[in-house]
Amino acid sequence: MSTASSPLPSGTTNPRKIVPFRDLREAFIDVLEHRDLLQQLTLRDIKLRYKQAVMGLAWAVFMPVLIVFSGLIIRYAMSQMSGQHLVPVEVANIAVKGLGWAFFVGAIGFATASLIGNMNLVTKIYFPREVLPLSTVGAQMFDSGLGVVVLAVILPFLGVRLHPSTLWAPLLFLLLILFTTAAGLALSCANLFFRDVKYIVQVVLMFGIFFTPVFFEPSMLGARGAFLVMLNPLTGILEGLRLSVIAGHNLFEPLYTVVKGVTVPEWQPWELWYSVVWSIGGLIAAGTLFRRVQPLFAEYV
Amino acid sequence: MGSGVRFEGVWKKFQRGEVHDSLRDLIPAVARRFVRGNTPPPLSTREFWAVRDVSFNVGMGQALGIMGPNGAGKSTILKLLTKILRPDRGIREVHGRIGMLIEISAGFHPDLTGRENVFLQGAIMGMKRVDIRRKFDEIVAFSEIEDFIDTPVKRYSSGMNARLGFAIAAHVDPDVLIIDEVLAVGDFRFQDKAFGRIHSMCNSGIPVVLVSHQLDRIASLCSEAILLDHGQVRLHASPSECIQEYTLGVAPTGESAESTLSIIGMRFAAADIVMSGERVKLHLTCRSRDDFDNDATDIVVTVRSATTGSMLFSTGARPCRIEMPRGQEFEIDVELQANLTPGLYHVETGVWDGVSQRLVHGGPSRMLTVQPGTRPFGGSVQLNAQMSMRTVAIGLHMPDSADAMNDPLPELIVRS
Repeated sequence: MSTASSPLPSGTTNPRKIVPFRDLREAFIDVLEHRDLLQQLTLRDIKLRYKQAVMGLAWAVFMPVLIVFSGLIIRYAMSQMSGQHLVPVEVANIAVKGLGWAFFVGAIGFATASLIGNMNLVTKIYFPREVLPLSTVGAQMFDSGLGVVVLAVILPFLGVRLHPSTLWAPLLFLLLILFTTAAGLALSCANLFFRDVKYIVQVVLMFGIFFTPVFFEPSMLGARGAFLVMLNPLTGILEGLRLSVIAGHNLFEPLYTVVKGVTVPEWQPWELWYSVVWSIGGLIAAGTLFRRVQPLFAEYV
Repeated sequence: MGSGVRFEGVWKKFQRGEVHDSLRDLIPAVARRFVRGNTPPPLSTREFWAVRDVSFNVGMGQALGIMGPNGAGKSTILKLLTKILRPDRGIREVHGRIGMLIEISAGFHPDLTGRENVFLQGAIMGMKRVDIRRKFDEIVAFSEIEDFIDTPVKRYSSGMNARLGFAIAAHVDPDVLIIDEVLAVGDFRFQDKAFGRIHSMCNSGIPVVLVSHQLDRIASLCSEAILLDHGQVRLHASPSECIQEYTLGVAPTGESAESTLSIIGMRFAAADIVMSGERVKLHLTCRSRDDFDNDATDIVVTVRSATTGSMLFSTGARPCRIEMPRGQEFEIDVELQANLTPGLYHVETGVWDGVSQRLVHGGPSRMLTVQPGTRPFGGSVQLNAQMSMRTVAIGLHMPDSADAMNDPLPELIVRS
């Protein structure tokens, strides 16, 4: 750093002992100590969504329902082209994946704006800033939790039965939450430094549904296409949810389908591990990044 | 070990001007640097030190006041203390939980009710939920808005907002207390209450750091003070010494143009501390030139409040019927009746030119401390009240003339 303008004292920074995941550990302890604050902020975000709102609690299922209907239109068009009938289980497929996608989109949207939206707090009062994006994810969990309840009621009518593999669902939800949290942490601080990140995120989320298997299954894209879509970390989670909850598939086993005489992978166990690596690795990276740049927030906001 | 704060050689740097705050600005800037080779922007000229080499220590039972003109770095030091900013150099240590009386309603959300905001703001200030629940009634009672606690805060008046904010902040039970100009909360009655609360928090023995422009607050609350100037500590001493240095250093002095009369010395006859209502004596040493004109030039003595800077009293030698000699050095004895409220005052001198109608020469000035006298009083002027009493036989009250003028039915009293 160039510091020609003023005299400087010599012998400056205190040495940091090297401890693995030091930042992350600090962040975790800090957030744990401020769990009451996290809870209050989450409650605030939830209350604000339902106060003076036209739709009230219906808001929680509004977006998933919209996604399901959009998916149905697309699937209907596909079935018209291929001459096949649209079966009820496809509604279930779209509903399960649409709910996951709605959670991701909702949480990321709010999380990205969370630091800027609370600028007056960030510049005036100290608390671990992680709680701001975390609370938006928490509030979205409440919304999506309502969606899960509604879905659990509807699914049996669509012919979905409970399987042993349904037990995969909580793990996959956890992965989704971790991945969303990681992305939310990283994007919220990116948006603090660069205000146009918010708009970039909006556009990416708007078109992201075409790069994420919500309305379609990866196998529909052929072997190479399926592989490319599987590189999206959300694919493993959303497809995992569909296959385990709807199709009753054990995610440790690969699954293949035959499309026009060609065998195409529908599920590969590595997808699961791939998503695990993204979620946990992403959380470590984002948490460390957030901790490192956090002291600069008040200056750059 | 007790709680406390320690600053040792703390430096903090800021940037002037704009920084790139969108990717759209940043990417071309980075690309340009790439293409043109590594010519860094003139960063060094844009940076400045907001805090330079500041050191202090505040331990249990100590209260440190920080004063200085706007832009001296007071708020930056507070932000460093509260961990909002990180020092570029030096050591900042804070032991214990910090309680802030700063921006006390910053966390309020307008759509939430007072009750919800108490829990939210309390949590933001670091209180546990059980603590907030335990102190909730106390907080609401202190803020005096019991009737509106379930009303959204957006419908509150600004006074109610500030009162609720203060009430929450005042119930945090911190290990270290940091106060920044929050003393102007609500009406004067609530201000008294708030100040009393601050006083008792300060007297509870926890370390306190107070930033204020209300210098008498610093004088009454703090055990020591630092005077900041352009980010540096100009003086670290007792509050009254710092206040003297600050206000005298900042006080505008008249132009020292060539004058036919000058004041070269000023001293108090006894101490510079006086009881309210007593007399204070000072000596002025003056020198006049041969062409000095007694009718056109005069010396003035002015008393100013050190805390507000407002002029309270001013007089001259001529109104006091003093004929000053020409071409000589002479002493003038001045006696003032200190009918002032306890506090800090400046006694300033100067030479007044009656032709140009302005102060042509700023003479020396001194700080005067007025202490509470034996008879406490309220208000802004010491009127040296005397009271005496005599007993009156019941029923024989005769209205005096003034009462009789105001009393609509004087004969009723006489008849009874």
